[in-house]
Amino acid sequence: MSDAKFFQRGKIQELRLELNSDKKDRNYTRKKQTLKKIVANMTMGNDMSSLHPDVIACMSIPVLEVKKMVYLFLINYAKAKPEMAYEAIQTFRRDVEDPNPLIRALAIRTMGYIHVDKVTSCLIQPLRHCMRDQDPYVRKTAAVCVAKLFMQDRHLVENAGFIDLLREMLVDSNPSVVANAVAALTEISERSDHIQLQLNMSIASKLVTALNECSEWGQTYILESLMFVVPQEPGDAEMLAERIAPRLQHANSAVVLTAVKVIVYLMNYMSREEDIHSMCKKLSPPLVTLLSSGPEVQYVGLRNILLVIQKHPEILKNDIKIFFCKYNDPIYVKMAKLEIMFRLASEHNVEQVLSELKEYATEVDVDFVRKAVRSIGRLAVKIESTAQRCVEALLELIQTKVNYVVQESIVVIKDIFRKYPNQYESIIGVLCENLDNLDEPEAKAAMIWIIGQYADRIENSDELLDDFLYTFLEETVEVQLALLTATVKLFIKRPTAGQDLVPKVLKWATEEVDNPDLRDRGYIYWRLLSTDVAAAKAVVLSEKPHISTETDNMDPVLLEELLLHIASLSAIYHKAPTTFIPHCKPRFLIPSPALRRQNYNAGRTLQHQDSYSSLHNSAQYQQSQSNNMRSQRFDGDDSGNGGLDEFVSSPKQPQHQRLSYHEQSFEQVAEASIGNQEYYEQKINAENPYRTDTAAVGGSQANKGGGVDLMSFDL
Amino acid sequence: MIESLFVLSPTGKVIIEKHWHELIPRRVVDFFNDQVSKAMAEGEDVTREDVLPIIASPKYQLINVYRDGLTYLSPVTKEVDPMMVFEFLHRIPDIMQEYFGQVSETVIKENFVTVYQLLEEMMDDGFPLTTEPNSLKEIVPAPNILNKVITTMGATTSVSTRKMPHGMSNLPWRKAGVKYNSNEIFFDIVEEIDAIVDSTGKAVSCEAHGTIQTNSRLSGMPDLTLSFVNPRLVDDCSFHQSVRFNKWESDKVLSFVPPDGHFRLMSYRVNLPSQQNLPIQVKPSINVGANGAKFDITVSLRNTDGKPVENVVLTLPLHKSTTTLTAQCNVGHSEAAANAGYNIGVEFLINSHSLSGLKVDVLKLFNESYKPYKGVRTMTKAGRYQVRA
Repeated sequence: MSDAKFFQRGKIQELRLELNSDKKDRNYTRKKQTLKKIVANMTMGNDMSSLHPDVIACMSIPVLEVKKMVYLFLINYAKAKPEMAYEAIQTFRRDVEDPNPLIRALAIRTMGYIHVDKVTSCLIQPLRHCMRDQDPYVRKTAAVCVAKLFMQDRHLVENAGFIDLLREMLVDSNPSVVANAVAALTEISERSDHIQLQLNMSIASKLVTALNECSEWGQTYILESLMFVVPQEPGDAEMLAERIAPRLQHANSAVVLTAVKVIVYLMNYMSREEDIHSMCKKLSPPLVTLLSSGPEVQYVGLRNILLVIQKHPEILKNDIKIFFCKYNDPIYVKMAKLEIMFRLASEHNVEQVLSELKEYATEVDVDFVRKAVRSIGRLAVKIESTAQRCVEALLELIQTKVNYVVQESIVVIKDIFRKYPNQYESIIGVLCENLDNLDEPEAKAAMIWIIGQYADRIENSDELLDDFLYTFLEETVEVQLALLTATVKLFIKRPTAGQDLVPKVLKWATEEVDNPDLRDRGYIYWRLLSTDVAAAKAVVLSEKPHISTETDNMDPVLLEELLLHIASLSAIYHKAPTTFIPHCKPRFLIPSPALRRQNYNAGRTLQHQDSYSSLHNSAQYQQSQSNNMRSQRFDGDDSGNGGLDEFVSSPKQPQHQRLSYHEQSFEQVAEASIGNQEYYEQKINAENPYRTDTAAVGGSQANKGGGVDLMSFDL
Repeated sequence: MIESLFVLSPTGKVIIEKHWHELIPRRVVDFFNDQVSKAMAEGEDVTREDVLPIIASPKYQLINVYRDGLTYLSPVTKEVDPMMVFEFLHRIPDIMQEYFGQVSETVIKENFVTVYQLLEEMMDDGFPLTTEPNSLKEIVPAPNILNKVITTMGATTSVSTRKMPHGMSNLPWRKAGVKYNSNEIFFDIVEEIDAIVDSTGKAVSCEAHGTIQTNSRLSGMPDLTLSFVNPRLVDDCSFHQSVRFNKWESDKVLSFVPPDGHFRLMSYRVNLPSQQNLPIQVKPSINVGANGAKFDITVSLRNTDGKPVENVVLTLPLHKSTTTLTAQCNVGHSEAAANAGYNIGVEFLINSHSLSGLKVDVLKLFNESYKPYKGVRTMTKAGRYQVRA
């Protein structure tokens, strides 16, 4: 029977009469039909709340279907009209004692949804009973109910001993109950300021046993909880990972990805390279399989893969073909694939990758084409043996005269010139043919850099620059800076050609422009040129630092943090969760004797870990101290007090932005080397929240005993 | 944790709204609709499918799935496993399909109460709960003819008189007491070929994705073992939760107690080594001139074990700026419609053929004494199969 007919907006009075009709109603069929109408109206947004006395009267009918509808009604309106819930309390009390476990569970569940103090206080006693109910369905419902209650009233849950009851449930004989208890505990731990879930190996082992028998969702809860196990003994992590590995074959991609997360986490606690290697081997096929699912799952998979392969490059290194784009992939999938293709590109497969990229550069989607062109340039910088072919590919693309393709190509060619000086300058002529069409600041700045850098080789470099200078005052700062430097270069390389331009530009930069960077750089050049031309030459034409695609790598500190957040929104955005989720607990690798030492390049060490490891390693300690001091040099007021609070809640932390590849290379291009070093440090310092946190983390360990109640579970 | 769910009609109107935590105001739907139309306005070729499945808004992260014209939107405020949300959101239309036979705005409206009851059972406090169709049908009766008869006869359909839902039994996927007069089980092995073929006919990438769809109509608690002639072909696989993983690891056989009715027993992936494996070859030749272009596409068959290839469809999307076109075919018929890059989508179907070569060997039944009827069908078809020109 179709429900649609219930949507004729039945008048409330009619419904009331129907509900209270004295007519013979065997098996409550009529009541059921009327309630259906009411619920249908309610879901359409028609206000049925005035019917509540009549609806609540139906609660006493001992038919589950009727009860369900009354409960739906209550959940819907209790928030707005708490007094309605009072009338239902008596029936709730009876229902939680009902011999039918379904009704007991339903009553508990419904009461948990009604955020009314009076109902909540009536819930405590029965809930406690239900957590020890003989029926597992009731127990599992009760476990979730505790999490619900916690959201309403944290103190109540903590003081009424519910946490301990949940803890007992972890060893329940029924796997679904265990899974729900774990889910509730994890949820509470994530939200609470002073409850922190921590599981020991023996409980972890029991959980893994339950894993094999519970539902797909139960499996994700249990797997997620294993992130709170800190393996202590050598072999613990290996054993656990081995037992979890079959989950990689699950049909539910959430189970698969959570299993990947736990295994990647556990690898931090494995000592032997060959164990890690064999785990990595197991991770590849399921990750590939994720990509045969729907586009949303692919997208989540791709964003997470990008993290995993940065830490463990051997994963998927032979599966690059999987990431080749199909023309009808959604654009966001294509973009994510492209990123991974670039990462996986190596001497062995670069041929294929390049031919794919060339293919993509002729597609129609502008963003995708741009990224493809950019990737060709990055590929040239990354893999020397292919540079020649990449340059040829870019030249071909420039010939297409498609405006954005040309501009994008010029941007990356500038990087190729920097990486391989004196090799590809022959193509400058081709580039110069396209000057007129440049309208994007990044492309303009790149072209201007090229003209300045090769001012002595480009015959008419002074004319070209003069053309650009025509609109100097209207340009963006990025272009203005490039113009300033390029003009000075021209002057130093070809004084006669540049002598007319330089004074003009210096005057603009120092007098007509508001941007302090530009003004400063103008003054520096001016003074250098007026005092000591040799010095100016040494500064302006100095050897530039090498560029490499290293700058594409994610900040290792952030990477480590994100790896602990695989299968979460942070892993999609590649942003630390604390930067966009309020009240989110940061995660970090907790030290144990089994924790592997991480190798990072100096100055970019994982601070959390440092401050812990420092107890064992004095050299490391000193290094972390020196970082500490450096951070204080720029933040005078960072004295480390109040550190714990800041560290725990830290929503105010500056958003962690990685210098993008091009920003970075551009800044390196900024030849005004004086003051650059300091500028850099400041910039890095400002962008890396951990620098200022160093002291805070150190403090947090000392304070931990005081503020944090670790939920360790021993049996 | 899923906090709320909105099901939106093709025009962006709310059809279903359900909140497990705080009430999330409908404003969020307006914001979402704006974002969708903004994204789609970005380019001519941007379709609804190109809209990001996770959109950030100042307060919420808007996780959404678009399926058959309907949008399943779940705004979240806290950190969440998006994979879980997507899996769950996809289950909703899956289950509706199972219950109502189809999913559309009208179908949902016709079955409002059932849908709400289902959602209530599928999730508790943001935790996915029961999503197995077998278990759900025990708790929320499906609107079928039998139920209608029972309702009109006034007989009881109340669940309260029944036993516990088997959701808590040791086999959460199978209900107890199933009885059939004739016991039968069917396996459909469907392989979809995903391939990118370049203009010279060389496969750039090529793999087969297989699924074994099963329809089990067996009484009691049958314990089955399905074995393959050549299981080692499989590169990666995933199983229905009934499959005993250890048995697969050690003996490469599928050992399981099946759920009742339709379910997907196994999915697998086979990397196909070279183009010899492709059943169909498409050779495009494109000549672009100043005033138009000529596309010659030759299709030839290879390697199908003599099985006929059916339903061959070639799609050649052209740029929207195309003004006129004519198309002709030697075999079959052609339709011309201007719809970018030159890529040719290929579809085909081959019955009784498995491109990977995976073959079922034998199915054994334990724990029950009857002899079931067993059927196996194989089929190969094109998945995401495209040829670059």
